[in-house]
This record gives sequence, structure tokens and C-alpha cells, in this order.
Amino acid sequence: MSDSAGQPASRSELPAIAVASLYQEYLVTRQTGRAVRDGIERLFADRCGEALAVIDFRDVAVIDFSCADEVVAKLVMASGADPDSSDTRFVLVRGVRDHHLDPVEGALRRRGLAVAAERASGEPLLIGDVDPDAGEAWRMLCACGRIRSHELALRLGLEPGPCDLLLSDLYRRRLVRRCGDEFESLSFTASAAAEMHAPDELRGDDRPAPLDG
Amino acid sequence: MSRVIDVPEVLDHRGFEELVAALPGASEAAGARILFNAKHVRWVSPYGLIGLLAVGRVARERTGLSARIEAPDSREVRTYLDRMDFWQSAHEVFDLEPGTTRSHGASDALLEITPIRSHHDVHAVVERVRERSAAILENRLHYPKPSVIQFSVMLSEVCQNIIEHAETDGWVCAQTYNFRERLGREVLMLAVMDLGIGFEGSLASEHARRFGESWSAATALEAALLFGESRFRDPGRGQGLQAIRKQVAKWDGMLAIRSGDAQIALVPEWDDYPPMQRSLPAFPGAQILIVMPARTAGGQ
Repeated sequence: MSDSAGQPASRSELPAIAVASLYQEYLVTRQTGRAVRDGIERLFADRCGEALAVIDFRDVAVIDFSCADEVVAKLVMASGADPDSSDTRFVLVRGVRDHHLDPVEGALRRRGLAVAAERASGEPLLIGDVDPDAGEAWRMLCACGRIRSHELALRLGLEPGPCDLLLSDLYRRRLVRRCGDEFESLSFTASAAAEMHAPDELRGDDRPAPLDG
Repeated sequence: MSRVIDVPEVLDHRGFEELVAALPGASEAAGARILFNAKHVRWVSPYGLIGLLAVGRVARERTGLSARIEAPDSREVRTYLDRMDFWQSAHEVFDLEPGTTRSHGASDALLEITPIRSHHDVHAVVERVRERSAAILENRLHYPKPSVIQFSVMLSEVCQNIIEHAETDGWVCAQTYNFRERLGREVLMLAVMDLGIGFEGSLASEHARRFGESWSAATALEAALLFGESRFRDPGRGQGLQAIRKQVAKWDGMLAIRSGDAQIALVPEWDDYPPMQRSLPAFPGAQILIVMPARTAGGQ
């Protein structure tokens, strides 16, 4: 066990967190997806620096491909739109069940994207287009929570250089968070934030109404 | 003055083609009202049912007069039309005698004829069929539990095709019946139709130049169904139809899409539908047919 693995972040290090609980059984149609995405993006509109959107799928009974594209794929796409920007956006999808996977995975793969996720059981899950080595590094990072690159390399049996490249690429794709010389999983970030303060929440009753077609 | 089009006794996808073929001759005389004589109809599929509405609306557009319709003599067929809410939609298409619109009361249909005009209608359809489709897919067709949600997703995508691409409204309906002649077991049939710009019109601005002189309704259907092309440059678009194709294949089902003068089909082993038909009588919009057979003990 490394000395840094799993250490909690201090409050000042944490990004702004917004939890979008989708109190909606049927996430279908592009218009609905756009309305949901607009609501989530509005939460970040006046924030500078780092921000993490946690999208909670627990109540979603049906999501179609079009809505998955509008909500998940386009949010992920926007989060990596400008890697050099000081406004860094992350997306974590929670409460994922098997029937969500096909539409979400399909929508992400079509755009060559991936998203960090958690199953309803809490098990971390990387959905979308990721090569196997990066996937393995991501899963190990999730198991550790927070860790330095060279320490993760030891755990993975990799040379430090290639491991650093994998982590840097995961960070570029906003699938992990970077904190100085450490990397942390988005689940770790969200949990640490939840322990310190209540995140902003986009609730069902203040969710914007779906746009008219 | 009226021109009469006899509605085929068996009003399924083949019967629909007969209606489409009869339309030009009947509608060529301006000011002549068309009468659809459905007296001898003895069997109707969901595709034939909304196909009759579609042909009726095109007849009105071509002649400038709402067509009339002679109701079937068969009590069984009339009851089926009532149960499927045919007359509610027919009221907006045909020149009906007062009192023709009948309420069916309780219905065992998976999905009665439902107009699709906006994404609100898509939501309503998906929510409405969930309980019914669970009972039908699991108990009668022996599909595994996840297929209920997969069917909802497919239904949503196929209805959205109207909203996103047709530039007009359309209809959807679904029902199960015993497909004795071909399969010897029950099937679920889902039919969706619109009278919009069709696949050729929808994809033309983005793809026609690339195909040059070979551009046609058939090439547009191939581009959309086989290659996931869409009229939008956005790579996220066009995946709905791809998802439907994969799902139908997984269920060993049949998928046919007619648009313009062509029809493309994903054909399972149990059917002999042609995979591609060209030079059909031209008809506006898109007409989609999905057939899902009951699963046997062996899983197929």
C-alpha cells in the first residue's frame, strides 16, 4: 500500500460537484435528452475551475440511444472539448444497470468516447471506447482511489513511463482527476466531496421541462 | 363522381402494395372522390391498418377531396378495427358518415393506432406499452425479461424516426397474432408509417452528391440501414436505426422499410421476403414493418 493511496482530499482541492438525479423513468427522445443536458450544463455555467457532474441513473427504467447520445455522450464530449482550458469538467454516471448499458455504450462508442461510471451496486465501470490497457489502469486506480503514477505502475507491473502515459491519456479524456502528482478516480472525488459538503443537486422538481419538438 | 379502389381481402403488407398500385389510376381525374371499398376485407394486419390510413391521406392530397370508405362486412374485422382505434384516426383522413367513430372500450391490443406528432407522443407510447409489452413478450412470446425494455427502446427509436426525419406526423400500432401460414407460431407485429420526405429526401442534401447518378430511394435506404448514415453530419446521429437492425436480428425478426419506390428488408431464415425491391409504385414517406416471432423451447 502506498503512502498516498486512498488519502482523502482536502476541501480546497475538490472540484465543484453537481449531482443530477434523473427522477425520470423514461429517458427517451432527443428533445428530452437536450433538456436534461441543458439543465446539467446550467449548473456549471457560472463556475470556474474544476467541476464534476454526477448523473444518477437509479430511477431510469428506459433510456434510448438518442437520449443517451444527448445526455451522456454530448456531456462527455463537451467535458473534453478544450483540454487546455482552466475550466475542467468531469462526468460520472451512477446507478447504472444492465439495461442502460447498450444505449449508453452505443452512443459513446459512436463518438469514440468513454465515461466513468458506477453500477447500482457501486462497482466501478468504464463505459465506451477505451483500449484494454487503459481500462486496466483505470480499474486499478478505482481500487486505490488516489495514487501516484509510479505507485500505480508497480501495482500494474508496468514501467513508470507507459503507466504515466496511460494515466495522462485517461486524464485528457476526463476519466480520472489529476491532483498535483497524483491521480484519483471520479468515484473517489465524488465520495470525498459528499463527506465534506452537500453538492448542488438538480432535482426532479426543478428539472427543466422537455423542449417542444 | 367517385373512383372505387377495392381494398384487398387480406390487408397486410402485400395488400398495402396493391392499394398503392391502384392509387395513381384512381386519383388521376381531378375532382373525383375516391371510395375505398373495404367490404370484402376479412383479415387485417397492423401494417395494413395504418397503410389504409396512409393511402387514404395520399388520396386526399392528390384529389383534393377526402376519400370515403366502405366499412368491412366481416363483424370480426369491424371489431378489430374498433379495438385498434382505427376510426379515431380515420376521422382525420376519410370523409366518414357521422357516428362512424366508435370507442372500443377495453382493448387487448399491444398498441392501438396512435398518431405521432411530437416527442410527447413518443413518450406517451413508450410509457403506455410497457405493462402490456411485459405481459405479451414474456408470457405469450416467451422473450426474456430484458426484452421488454429493449422493445421500449426500439419503439422509441422507430417513432422518433418520424419526428427527426420525416418533417411530418405519422402513426404507429402493434399487435400480436398467430402467424400460422409461415411460421406456425405467434408473432408481434409493429408498424410505423409517415408520409414525409422519405429516406431519399432526408439524406439527399448530405449524401446524394457522393452517389451521383446512382442516388435513389434504394441507395438512401441502404445508406441508412446498412451504414448508419443520416442527414446530419453529427456522428451521433443515425444510430437509432442501427440499434433497431441489431435488435431485430438478435430476435430472429424481420425488418422492412419501404420509402419512395424501394423497400429494404432484413430477412430471417423463416421468411422469403426480398432483401431489396426497386421500382415499386412510388409512395411518400417511410413505412416500417417489424415482425418478432415467438421464441420456441430451443431459444429461437
